[in-house]
Amino acid sequence: MRRYSDEELLELLKSLESDRIERKESFNGDVPRKVRQAVCAFANDLPNHNEPGVLFVGAKDDGEPSGLHVTDRLLLALADIKTDGNILPLPVLSVEKRVLRGAELAVVTVMPSDMPPVKYDGRIWIRTGPRRAIANEQEERLLIERRRYKNLPFDIYPVPSARITDLSRSIFENEYLPSAFAPDVLEENNRTYEERLASCKMIVSPENAIPTVLGLFALGKSPQDFLPGACIQFLRIDGTELADPVVDEEKIGGAVVEMLRRAEEKLRAHNRVAVDIASAPTHRIGMPYPPAAIQQILYNAVLHRTYESTNAPVRVYWFDDRIEIHSPGGPYGNVTSENFGRPGITDYRNPNIADVLKTFGFIQAFGRGIPTARREAERNGNPPLEFETSQSAVVCTLRRKS
Amino acid sequence: MISPVLTFFNNKGGVGKTSLIYHLAWMFASLRKRIVAADLDPQANLTAAFLTEEEIEAIWEEEKPGSTVFQCVKPLAGVGDIAEPHLRRIAPDLYLLPGDVRLSGYEESLSMEWPNSMGDHNLYRPMRILSSFWQVMQMAARAVRADLVLVDIGPNLGAINRSALLATDYVAIPLGADLFSLQGLGNLGPALRSWKNLWKKRLDNWRESGEARLYPDFHLPEGKMQPIGYLCQQHGVRLERPVQAYDKWVQRIPGGYRKHVLNEEHIPKISQEEDPYCLAIIKHYRSLIPMAQECRKPIFNLTSADGAIGSHANAVQDARKDFRLLAEKIAGEIGLQL
Repeated sequence: MRRYSDEELLELLKSLESDRIERKESFNGDVPRKVRQAVCAFANDLPNHNEPGVLFVGAKDDGEPSGLHVTDRLLLALADIKTDGNILPLPVLSVEKRVLRGAELAVVTVMPSDMPPVKYDGRIWIRTGPRRAIANEQEERLLIERRRYKNLPFDIYPVPSARITDLSRSIFENEYLPSAFAPDVLEENNRTYEERLASCKMIVSPENAIPTVLGLFALGKSPQDFLPGACIQFLRIDGTELADPVVDEEKIGGAVVEMLRRAEEKLRAHNRVAVDIASAPTHRIGMPYPPAAIQQILYNAVLHRTYESTNAPVRVYWFDDRIEIHSPGGPYGNVTSENFGRPGITDYRNPNIADVLKTFGFIQAFGRGIPTARREAERNGNPPLEFETSQSAVVCTLRRKS
Repeated sequence: MISPVLTFFNNKGGVGKTSLIYHLAWMFASLRKRIVAADLDPQANLTAAFLTEEEIEAIWEEEKPGSTVFQCVKPLAGVGDIAEPHLRRIAPDLYLLPGDVRLSGYEESLSMEWPNSMGDHNLYRPMRILSSFWQVMQMAARAVRADLVLVDIGPNLGAINRSALLATDYVAIPLGADLFSLQGLGNLGPALRSWKNLWKKRLDNWRESGEARLYPDFHLPEGKMQPIGYLCQQHGVRLERPVQAYDKWVQRIPGGYRKHVLNEEHIPKISQEEDPYCLAIIKHYRSLIPMAQECRKPIFNLTSADGAIGSHANAVQDARKDFRLLAEKIAGEIGLQL
């Protein structure tokens, strides 16, 4: 991530022609939407500058400061652009308060994405010269071709042994596409099946129609044939130790929607509702574990685990006194064993899987899974969640409420 | 700024009114129109569609001024004035003015002040009470700069609904395909016309009273109540007999609407599909409805994660198109730019 010096920023602020710059006087009314469009367009970097785009909030069109007071709230609202899940895959950007020409400005620096096309609200925004627009077919193809192999995350690596016929066309066209793109975009474009798959990163490119890890994960007819570890193993143990007898076991596979829905059904079936009619004048209904917490931990495990060179599944061990959810692969990127679970610290090993989970509706916003799970556990009366991290796994333990 | 108010009204219950308003509110908001959904039905079904039971309980127990429609107008029943409404933000362009079961207690004040407002003196208070729903809704609309207020009211011709309709610019009438809906039109149409006239008399009376000059900032609704059309529920058809019965009522609706609601003599022979007053035929979305209720979202926002997979996914897309068309049609009728 590049940080511009004050001199460079001043230069950019003054250059009225550049298509890497956008200025906004304030962050009111329609501006949050336009700023998101601009962030999306900078991330797509259609002109191929390979340089970050910069957005100034608090500057007039001619580069003069507008005299805006840059508050914490404004900075938070700007940072929200990254995590509210409307721009997918998640953009790499920084938000900071800078003082230029003696005036306060909020500066948003957006790195070009390694994984274009980037969408905002189901539309691919681009910059061509001074204008912002929605990409046409040709421009979209340029963006797809620009994905570079060398520093791609594993989730969009090609899986050479797979064929396009290993992807389910009906899931793609009926379930994925309508959620991924705005209806008007879908209606007016006449891209082929292959072009659409490539745009969604499900295959490498229209010419080289090899499914990616993401394609198999999201749309595969039998993804575990190619990614044996991409499944969830459930074990119900009658006792408190792994050596105790197993009373229910299932390996849950399939493409992500089927896998997660079946896993949740299984968990729901085991999370038996207890009706207590003795301890209070009116009966109380209670669950040993809060469903929303289990759900968040499970989604987190599936999203953040490593899919690379491992055949380990996500493992859910349900003991009499606790549930353990094991996610293969240790903490990633910014997240370390030391800072794990602290608010605001997130990173994405699988940014494109994050995109798919958001598109299918499993995730509403990013970076809120663990806080939500913690809150739900507290509300339900369970002991605090425990996280154990190592090089090879993250294990979350939910203890039963006593 | 005065925001247009659109009320859905039928004195026959169970015609899918609340669900319709709920979905339209979401659809308008997704088309980037700022919406206030006001729940003036003391049964508070619309509120229950937007909020969980715990959230509603918290609002009702708190008894904060302005937290519900009732808490806004309650001070008026004593010696106070209308409290600033406290809206719940549901989505970026969607706000709810929560309903309240205790609103039914306000019915009495409203019926009492109705004759008083035709008196010779002291008209301010009666007029203020009779127009209180309008005041509250306009305050709410101003607070968030709303483009449209959508109102849900109960299925009756009582004083609460009379006041709610005085506050209304446009009325849409949801119908079921049965005898009761058609019969209901016979009460509803004349009631609307009569309320409109009676309110006009009160407005004139107020303006001539001289008291009006003492309160230059006191604005009153026009009581336009313009009917913009009806919506009909599609019947889940399976056996032959219900189809025939259904058909019979369906065919009589265009005529019934003209005769009772529009007070027209000439009744053309047309079917609902070609009737310009038919805003939409609402489909039966079957299992999508319980799925959506469980997830607290409109059916057209259901995702694969919610279980809208396979044929459900297609139904979700269709529902989005249907409601979008309906929103566009309604916007056209009330002159709202989309």
